[in-house]
Amino acid sequence: MESLTVFLILLVLGYVFGKLAEGRHYRSIQAREEMLVRLPTTSCKKPMGKSTPISHAELVHGHVVISIDYFKQLLAGLRNFFGGTVQSYETLLDRARREAILRLKESCPTANEILNLRIETSSISKGGNSERVGSVEVLAYGTAIYYSQASTQHSPL
Amino acid sequence: MNYEPSLPEHNDNVSLQHPVREFFVLVTGVLVFVLIGYWALGFVVDVAVDYLSSEQESKLLSKLDINWGFGEESMPEEQAKLQDLVDAFKPCLSLPYPITVSLVKSKMVNAMAVPGGKMVVFSGLLDSLSSTNGLMFILAHELGHFKNRDHLRLMGRGIVLSILAMLAFGGDSGISDILASTINLRTAKYSQSRESQADRTALHALQCHFGHVGGATELFETLQAEEEGIDLEFLHYFSTHPELQQRIDDLYRLSQELGYPTKGTQKLMKH
Repeated sequence: MESLTVFLILLVLGYVFGKLAEGRHYRSIQAREEMLVRLPTTSCKKPMGKSTPISHAELVHGHVVISIDYFKQLLAGLRNFFGGTVQSYETLLDRARREAILRLKESCPTANEILNLRIETSSISKGGNSERVGSVEVLAYGTAIYYSQASTQHSPL
Repeated sequence: MNYEPSLPEHNDNVSLQHPVREFFVLVTGVLVFVLIGYWALGFVVDVAVDYLSSEQESKLLSKLDINWGFGEESMPEEQAKLQDLVDAFKPCLSLPYPITVSLVKSKMVNAMAVPGGKMVVFSGLLDSLSSTNGLMFILAHELGHFKNRDHLRLMGRGIVLSILAMLAFGGDSGISDILASTINLRTAKYSQSRESQADRTALHALQCHFGHVGGATELFETLQAEEEGIDLEFLHYFSTHPELQQRIDDLYRLSQELGYPTKGTQKLMKH
């Protein structure tokens, strides 16, 4: 009985705080995405303006680690039993991916274009099977290029 | 190629289904699944127990050598008396093997049948009873458990439950907790029916030994008097034994059905 009470408390706390944190994070992501939408970020290997002279390029990256709440973890555990899409992890990965790209963009605010964007995901699980905490790391990396001074005035930015 | 800055209108990567709804659907599914599994395996345990001979049982259990942690006997005289009372039921109950009684000093008003032909009586029980008949009914009730082999059935169910939980969830996480509580309710229900069965056996034994069933309800009536005033209604759901009043009523009804008379009881000699 006691363990059930503890479990239910954890479940409710996990749900409430997980939902609050997620809502706050999504609001921040949306605001920053609007601010940074004008920085072209593509998976192309060559700059879009092929004729524009480039002054320099650099490797940029952004990464984030996000943990799952108790409620979502339990939901995923139940899903394990029946199979199917693990919907409870979807927002976690969506937030992590978008946050990593945002951080990448924020690391080079003066760049004219980011090329060759790549995203990698790894899970971070600490502890044994029973005490596992599900966290996900998303790493985004790419090449930031800067046009030479003369041509900057004509860049789409 | 021109870059056109724009953000997607909606997020296609996230499902719209409400997680709480998903949670309830999944939990219900798991519970139904497990309850069916538990019920089916419980049935298998019952069949297996019926097939298991008492020789096989003692052979199996002797290898287990379980330490029940009740300590050494502290009241050898009373214990010997209890043993005599238990032995007195021999002609009335066809028990598969001899039962040894252990008297444990404790305030608990209880007695239990443990696997391996051992009956544990807590001394609090002796203090709550005033008649030999009342005591012998409780002893016969525990003997009834041995006769009906309830200790094996419950142990079997316990093993089945642990295995189910381990297989499904690796014995961890909150899911096992939900499971355990649900199964506890089921087990409690099952135990209640076994307890009623043991009461029935005890009533037969009492009639056979004394020629009447006086004193059968003594302990329950004493306990009920103690409980009066405390609202225990909700506890009933979790309890493994039938509610006291129901138990008393059942015993009265059964003794009437069988035509067992109720006469005066013998006073219990205490030290």
